[in-house]
Amino acid sequence: MRSALQLLAGDADIGRTRLFWIGLAIAIVLFFLYPTQASAFRASNVAFYLLNVPLGLGMALLWGYCGVLSFGHVAYFGIAGYLYGIIAGNMSGNSLGPIAGVLGGLAGCALVAAIFGYFVFYARVQKWIIPILTLVLTLLLETFLGQTAGYQWRVGSVLLGGYNGMTGIPWFQLGGFVFEGYSFYYLCLVLVVGCYFGLRILVNSRFGQVTIAIREDELRTELLGYDIRARQLAIFVLSAMLAGLSGLLYVQWGNYITPSQVGLLQAALPVVWTAVGGRTSLLAVVISTLILNWLTYTLSSQGNQYAMVIIGALLVVTMMFFPRGIVVMLAEAIGRRMPQRAPAKS
Amino acid sequence: MTETLPLALSLLYQLGATAAFLFLAAVGLIIILGMMNIINLAHGELMMMGAYVATITHHAGLPFPVSVVLSFFFVAAFGAVLELLIVRRFYGQELGALVVTWGISLVLGQGTLLFFGPFMPSIKIPGGSFSYGVFSYSEYSLILMLVCFLLVVGLWIIYSRTTYGLQARATMQNAEMAKSLGVPTGRVYTLTFSFGAGLAGLSGALLAPTATIAPFMGQQFVAPAFITVVVGGATSVIGGAVGSSVLLAAVKTPIGMALGAFSGSVALLVAALIIIRIMPNGISAQLQNYLDRRSQGRQR
Repeated sequence: MRSALQLLAGDADIGRTRLFWIGLAIAIVLFFLYPTQASAFRASNVAFYLLNVPLGLGMALLWGYCGVLSFGHVAYFGIAGYLYGIIAGNMSGNSLGPIAGVLGGLAGCALVAAIFGYFVFYARVQKWIIPILTLVLTLLLETFLGQTAGYQWRVGSVLLGGYNGMTGIPWFQLGGFVFEGYSFYYLCLVLVVGCYFGLRILVNSRFGQVTIAIREDELRTELLGYDIRARQLAIFVLSAMLAGLSGLLYVQWGNYITPSQVGLLQAALPVVWTAVGGRTSLLAVVISTLILNWLTYTLSSQGNQYAMVIIGALLVVTMMFFPRGIVVMLAEAIGRRMPQRAPAKS
Repeated sequence: MTETLPLALSLLYQLGATAAFLFLAAVGLIIILGMMNIINLAHGELMMMGAYVATITHHAGLPFPVSVVLSFFFVAAFGAVLELLIVRRFYGQELGALVVTWGISLVLGQGTLLFFGPFMPSIKIPGGSFSYGVFSYSEYSLILMLVCFLLVVGLWIIYSRTTYGLQARATMQNAEMAKSLGVPTGRVYTLTFSFGAGLAGLSGALLAPTATIAPFMGQQFVAPAFITVVVGGATSVIGGAVGSSVLLAAVKTPIGMALGAFSGSVALLVAALIIIRIMPNGISAQLQNYLDRRSQGRQR
C-alpha cells in the first residue's frame, strides 16, 4: 500500500523535485509569517485572495482533471454563502450557529450539485451542454436572489435583501473563539494548504487516476469497467463543495453577500484563474488565483475601470497563445533549464 | 361561451410571442453551433451590439427597419473579423472555443460600458396595439412572429438551395472530404460565423425596442438562447431551433402567466434538464431519427 506521502509526490501535478518541495515549504512558511509583518488591513486582503483558492481548485479538479467544464461554479459559492447567512444568522447568540451554518451550506451545495449532476451526467449529454446549463443555473439563481428585496423575503429573522444582499452575517466561531482579523487569515491559510495537499493526494490516488483516464477517453475507461457517470458525478459534487467552501469563507470574511456574487462576471473569474494558471495543475491554479485576485483588487482599488476588460483579454490571450496555461508553461520552461532529474517514480 | 375564442387566440398569441422571442434569441447561436460546432458565448454581446447599432442609427434619424438591416451587416462584419483573428484557432476544441468566446464577451460587455456608459435612450416600440375581446395585442409582436417565419423560410432557402448552403452542409458533415473536393472550407467557416453573428445582431436590433439598452443587456438573452439551443440540439439546425422554441414556449407561457416571469424561466431550465435526460442530443436528433426511419420504410 502506498503511503499518503508517496501519493503526494505522484506525477499528477507540477513540481516533483527536491528543490520544488523546499521552495513550496518556504512559500508556506512565508505565508504563515506574513501577518506578523503586515497590518490587519493587508492581512485581510491577502485572506481574501486565499479564500478564493478552493473555488479555483474545484474548477481545476473538474475541468483539468475530469474534463468537465462548469461555468456556474459560483452558484455553489452563493448557495453556501446564503445558507450560512440564513442558518448562522438565525442561531445568532448560539456558539454552535456558525458550525451549523457551515455544515448546512456544504450540504446544500452537495445536494444541488448532486441533483443537477444526476441529470447531466446520467443523460451522457455532449461536452458543451454542461457549461451552458451550469451557466443558466447560476444566472437563474442571480435573478431569483435579485428579486428577494422586501420584508416578505425572510427566512426566520434573516432578510435575503434583494440586490442589496444579505448583511450582518456572523463571523465563524469554534467554541467561544471567533475567527476575525489575523485569526481568520490563518483559518483561510490552513484550509487552503489542507485543500491543496488533500486534492494532490486525491488526484494521484487510484480514484484520481481513473478520473484522469475519463478525461483522456471516456469510452475506453468505461470499457475497462469503470462507471464513469458515478465518478463524474462524485467529482462534480466535490468541486461544488470546494466552491461552497470559498463561499462560506467569503461571507465570514466580509459579513455580507450580494446576488452579483453569482452573476455572469463573477462566474467568469474561476474559469479565468484556471485557464490562466493551467487547468492540469492544482498548484498552478493556486498561484494564478492568488496573483489574479491581487491584480483585480489592485486595479479596481485604484479606480481602474479596465479591470474586467484586462481580465477578459488575458483569458483570450491565454487561450490563444498559452493553451495549457501560463504558469504551467512557465514551470515547464524552468523544468527544462534545470539540470537535475525528477526522483524515480515509485 | 363567447369568451372561449378570444382566450384561445390570446393564448396562441402569447405562445407565438414567446416562441418568437426564443427563436430570435437563439437563431444566430444555433447556426454557428450546428454548422461549426462552436458555442459562441459572446452571443449575448453580439446581440447587444446589434441593439446598440440599431439604437444609435435610429436616433440619428434612420427609419427603424433600415437600422435593423444595418445592424445585421455591422455585426456580421464584426463576426468575420472575430473569426479570422481568434475563433479560427479553436476549431475542433469545443471547450476551448467556449472559454475564448467568453473572454471576448467580457471584453465586449465591459468595453461597451466604458465607451457608451451604463445607459442608452431606448427605442419606442414601433406600431400600436389593438384589442380583440378583453385581450390586447401588440402589432410589433405580430411583426416579430412574421419576421421569424420569414427567417425560417429564408434560412431554409439559403441552406438547401444555394451553393454556399451546399458547401456549408458538406463542410459540416465532413470537413476533410469537403476540402479535398475543392470546397474552400476556411471561407465557408468565416462566412458561417459572420452570418451567425449577423443574425445575432439582427435579433438584438429587433428585440431592442422591447428591452432596456445597456451594456449587459446581452445577459438576459443568454439563458433563454442557450436553453433553446441545448433542447434543439445540433443535428438539424433549423428544425431544432423551431421545434425547441415552440416546445419551450409551450412550457414557459402557461407557467409564466400563472406564476410570474421568474417561475417561467425556472420552468425553462427544468424542462431543458428533463428533455436532455430523455433525448440527450436534442429534439433535432430525435426528428432526424424519425425522418430517417420513415424514408427507410418507404424504400422497402
